[in-house]
Amino acid sequence: MPKRLNAVVSWVLTFLVMVIIGLPGLWVILSGFRPNREILAKPAVWVPERLSLDNFAAIFGLGDTQVAIPVANYFANSLVIAVTSTVIAIAIGMSGGYAFARFRFRFKNGVFLGLMLSRTVPGIALSLPVFMVWSRIGLIDTQFGLILVYVALNIPFTIWLIDGFFRQIPKELSEAGQVDGCTRWQAFWRIEFPLARSGIASAAIFAFLTSWNEYALASNLTRSTDSKTLPVGLMDFTAQFTIDWAGMCAMAVIIIVPALALTFLVQKHLIAGLTFGGVKG
Amino acid sequence: MTEVRLANLTKAYGNMEVVHAIDLDIADNEFLVLVGPSGCGKSTTLRMIAGLEEITGGTIHIGDRVVNDLAPRERNVSMVFQNYALYPHMTVRENLGFGLKIAKVAEQDIGTRVTQAADILGIAELMERMPAELSGGQRQRVAMGRAIVRNPDVFLFDEPLSNLDAKLRVQMRTEIKKLHRRVENTVVYVTHDQVEAMTLADRIVIMRDGYIEQVGTPLEVFNEPANTFVGSFIGSPPMNQLDGIVRLADGDISLADGLSIPIPQRTRARLSEGQKVVVGIRPDDLAPRGHGIHDSEASAELELSVSISEPLGTETLLFTSIGGVEVQGKMLNPRMVAPDERMKFVLAVDRVHIFEAAGGRNVMIDN
Amino acid sequence: MKAKMDRRLGRWALRPQSIPFVLLLPAILVIVFVVLFPLIFSLYTSFTPYRLTRPESLWTFIGLRNYRRIFTDLDFWIAFGRTILFLAVVINLEFLFGLLIALLINRITWGQRVLRTVMMFPMMFSPILVGFQFKFIFNDNIGVLNNALQSLGLTDQAIAWLVDGWLAMGSIAFAEIWMSTSVFAILLLAGLFAMPREPIEAARVDGCNNWQVFRHITLPFIMPFAFIAMTIRSLDVARAYDIVDVMTGGGPAGRTELLWTLIARTGYDNARMGQANAMAYVSIILSIAFTYYFFTRLVAARRYMGGAA
Repeated sequence: MPKRLNAVVSWVLTFLVMVIIGLPGLWVILSGFRPNREILAKPAVWVPERLSLDNFAAIFGLGDTQVAIPVANYFANSLVIAVTSTVIAIAIGMSGGYAFARFRFRFKNGVFLGLMLSRTVPGIALSLPVFMVWSRIGLIDTQFGLILVYVALNIPFTIWLIDGFFRQIPKELSEAGQVDGCTRWQAFWRIEFPLARSGIASAAIFAFLTSWNEYALASNLTRSTDSKTLPVGLMDFTAQFTIDWAGMCAMAVIIIVPALALTFLVQKHLIAGLTFGGVKG
Repeated sequence: MTEVRLANLTKAYGNMEVVHAIDLDIADNEFLVLVGPSGCGKSTTLRMIAGLEEITGGTIHIGDRVVNDLAPRERNVSMVFQNYALYPHMTVRENLGFGLKIAKVAEQDIGTRVTQAADILGIAELMERMPAELSGGQRQRVAMGRAIVRNPDVFLFDEPLSNLDAKLRVQMRTEIKKLHRRVENTVVYVTHDQVEAMTLADRIVIMRDGYIEQVGTPLEVFNEPANTFVGSFIGSPPMNQLDGIVRLADGDISLADGLSIPIPQRTRARLSEGQKVVVGIRPDDLAPRGHGIHDSEASAELELSVSISEPLGTETLLFTSIGGVEVQGKMLNPRMVAPDERMKFVLAVDRVHIFEAAGGRNVMIDN
Repeated sequence: MKAKMDRRLGRWALRPQSIPFVLLLPAILVIVFVVLFPLIFSLYTSFTPYRLTRPESLWTFIGLRNYRRIFTDLDFWIAFGRTILFLAVVINLEFLFGLLIALLINRITWGQRVLRTVMMFPMMFSPILVGFQFKFIFNDNIGVLNNALQSLGLTDQAIAWLVDGWLAMGSIAFAEIWMSTSVFAILLLAGLFAMPREPIEAARVDGCNNWQVFRHITLPFIMPFAFIAMTIRSLDVARAYDIVDVMTGGGPAGRTELLWTLIARTGYDNARMGQANAMAYVSIILSIAFTYYFFTRLVAARRYMGGAA
C-alpha cells in the first residue's frame, strides 16, 4: 500500500506545482477578456459573466471606448525590431558559431570568453553608456538603435547554441561533400546547414523572444511611438491616474501569446542545446 | 592511368611535425595499404592526398598533375570514411547521386550510374531508405557505392572496416578486394589492422611516428622485416624479440638464461664478434619437437618450461620465457600440455631474424 | 593608397588561417560597437561629475570621487547588501524547488513531456510581464490573492502585499522564483534523464539505501546540470530590475531598492550619469563575479565527474 500512497502524493504535489506555474498566467489571460468593472468589483466576481474581445478592440483603438495608448504602434515596433534583430543576430551568430565549431585558431578561447562576458553586463548598466553614445549619434528613440542593441544582446547566446548544433554534425560530412565535388561553401549550404536547420530555428526563436521581451534597455532608449515596444508600453498604463487593469491584461495577452506558441515549438531543441552546450563545453 | 606520387611530403601543426618528408610512388591500379599504430601519420597522409589537410611541404602528384593547391573536389578522388559520413538527410539514392548532381551530370545519367553502382554492391532494394534505417554493413556498402559511382581516379579508404563487428569485417574485406578487381582503380587504404593490410594489399606501407618504416608486398614485409618495429607489427601472434650477443668463435648467439642459438647461415657475414643484437623469432618457428611447421630445416633445440597454454583447436599457443621476457611458441597437432611442463622446442634457425640492437635495423638490409 | 590597402585586405581575408576571423568579424564588430566602446566611454564618465543637464561637466575630471562617494553612501550599501541577499536567497530556493520538481517529474511515468512543456513557459515570459502578473495578483484591493483569502475567510482585511517593505520584498522574490525555477527544474530533469542506471544499481548492490543513493550517486551526477542552470541564470540576474520596476518601482520608501533600480534612479531620474556609471561598474563586476563563480564550479564538477555527463 505505501507504494500506491507514494504515487498519489507525487501526483498531488505535481498537480500543485503545475497550478502554481500555470495559474498566474491563466488568470491574467482570463482577465484580458473580462470588463474592467468586473475586475474591480467588490466582493470579487469569481465566475465571469461574459467574455469578450472588447479590451483588445479598445487598446487597438477599434472599439467604442478609446484608449490613449497607441498599442498598435507599439506592436508594430516590437514586431519590426524583434524580427529584424533576430534575422541579423542569426546571420552573424551562424557565421561565428560555425567558426567556433569548425576551426582552430589563435585566441579562440579568449574571443569566446569575451563574447560571453559581454552578455553578463546587466541591461540597466549597459543602458547608461549606450544612452549617452546613442544620444550623441542620434540613435535614441529609433528602431535602428534598439535593433543594434538587441543584435549585440543576442549574439553571444546565439553563437553558443549554434556552435553546439554544428559541433554535433560530424565534420566528415562536410569533408565527404568536398571530396564529392562541393566547394566548402556548397558543402555548408547543402549538407551542414540542412542538418543544423532545426537547431538554428530554435536559436532564432530564442533570440526573437529575448528581443520581444526585453525591457530594461528599451525603457531607457525609446521615448515615443517611433520606437517604443510593447513591454515599455505596458508601463504607460501604470503611469495613468487610474490603472486600466483590463487593458493591461489584454496587452499582456498580446505579449504572452507569441512567447507561449514559440516556446512550444522549440522546447526540445532548446533543452538539448542548453545541455550539451553546458556539459560538453 | 593514374599514378599517385608523394615526394618529400611533410605535415606540421605549428611546430609539431607529424609527417616527415615521406616519398612514395603508387602505381596505376595498385591497391596500396598504409598501416601503423594510431598517431603514425597514415590518416594525415591520406587526408593530404584527398586535399582535406593542407600540405606543409613537398608535393603530391595525381596522374601528371601536381595537386598541392587543388581543392578536394578538383582532384577527382573519392573517399570512404571511418564513420561512413553518409548524409543523414538524404536517401540512399540521393547519397549515391550527390556527387554527380553537384557535377551537374544529366538526370538520366545519374539514374543509370547510381543503379549500376547499387547493383554492384547489392544495395538496390535499399535505395529509398535513410541512412539511419541501415545496418552497419549496409551503411558501409552505401559509402562504397558513393565512392565508385563517380568513377574517380583514386579511391581513398580511411579505416572503413573498423566500426564493423569481427565477422562482418572479414566479409567486407573480401568484398572490397572483389570490388577492386572489378573497377580497377588506384586504391590507397588506411588501417591499423595488420591482418587487413596483409589480406588486401598489393603493397603495404608500414608507418610509425610520421616515418615510413618499410614498403613491400605482404610477403616481403613478413619475410624480411626491415626492423624490429615492422617485425613485431606484422604477423600474429607478434614476433618474439630477445637480446643476444654474437660469439663468432662458437658460431652462436648467446641469449639470457645460459641459452644460445646457432648463427643463421645467411647472416653470418654481416655480424661481428661481440655485437649486440636482437633476435626475432616468430611463434611459428618455435615448436615442440614433432609439432612444428618447419621441422625439417636447420634447427636448434631449446628446453623451456611452459607457463600457460592456449588451445585454439588446430594449434595451441605456448607461453614460456627466456631471461624474463615472454616468448610464444606454436604447437601444431596439439596434445594436452601440463602446467609448467618442460618441453624441448625446435627452432627453425634459418627463419630467425637478426636485428642490430642499436636502432633495430635488420642486418640483412642495406641502408 | 586605398586600393593597395584593399588588395592587401582582400588577400588577408582569403588566406585559410584568416577564415575563422573573417567569420567572426561581424560578431566582434557589433559587440565592440554596442558593448565595449560604450563601456569604455562610461568608465571614463564614472571619473567625471557628468550630468545629463550639464553637458560641459563631461570634461571635468574628478578621479575616484564618484566611487568614494558611493562607497560612503549608506543607501548604496543597503541596496547592494539587499541585492546580494536577494540573489543568495532566490537562487538557493530556485535550486531547491527545481530539484524537488525534477525529482517529482522523474518519478512520474505518464505525461512527462506535457509537464516539461508547461514548466518551460515561465522561462519565456518577459520579466516585465512576470512583474505585472504578480502586481495584478498581489494587488491589495483587486488582487486575486486577497480576494481569495477574503472569500475563504482567512482574513477580513486586505493584506498590503506590495506596500509593506518585507511583504513587498517577499512578493518580488516570489515572482523571481516563479520565473526562474523552471530553468533549474528542466536542466536537472535533463540530468536525471541522462543518468546511467549502472552506478545506481552498483550502489544498491553495495548496500546503499534510497537516501544514500541520492546523496552519493544521483546528486553528484546532476550537479553539473545545476551549475549550468546557475551559470545561465547568473548571466541574467539583473532582470530582477524589470520585476521590481513594475511591481514597486523600488518603493515603498526605497525598501525594495536593488542595485539596478538605484542605478536607473541615479542616472535617469536624478540625471547624475557619472555617479550612476560608477554604480553600474560595481553591478557589472558583481554579474561577472557570479557568472565566473558558477562557471568555475561547473568546470570543477565536470572534472570531478570525469566527463561522464
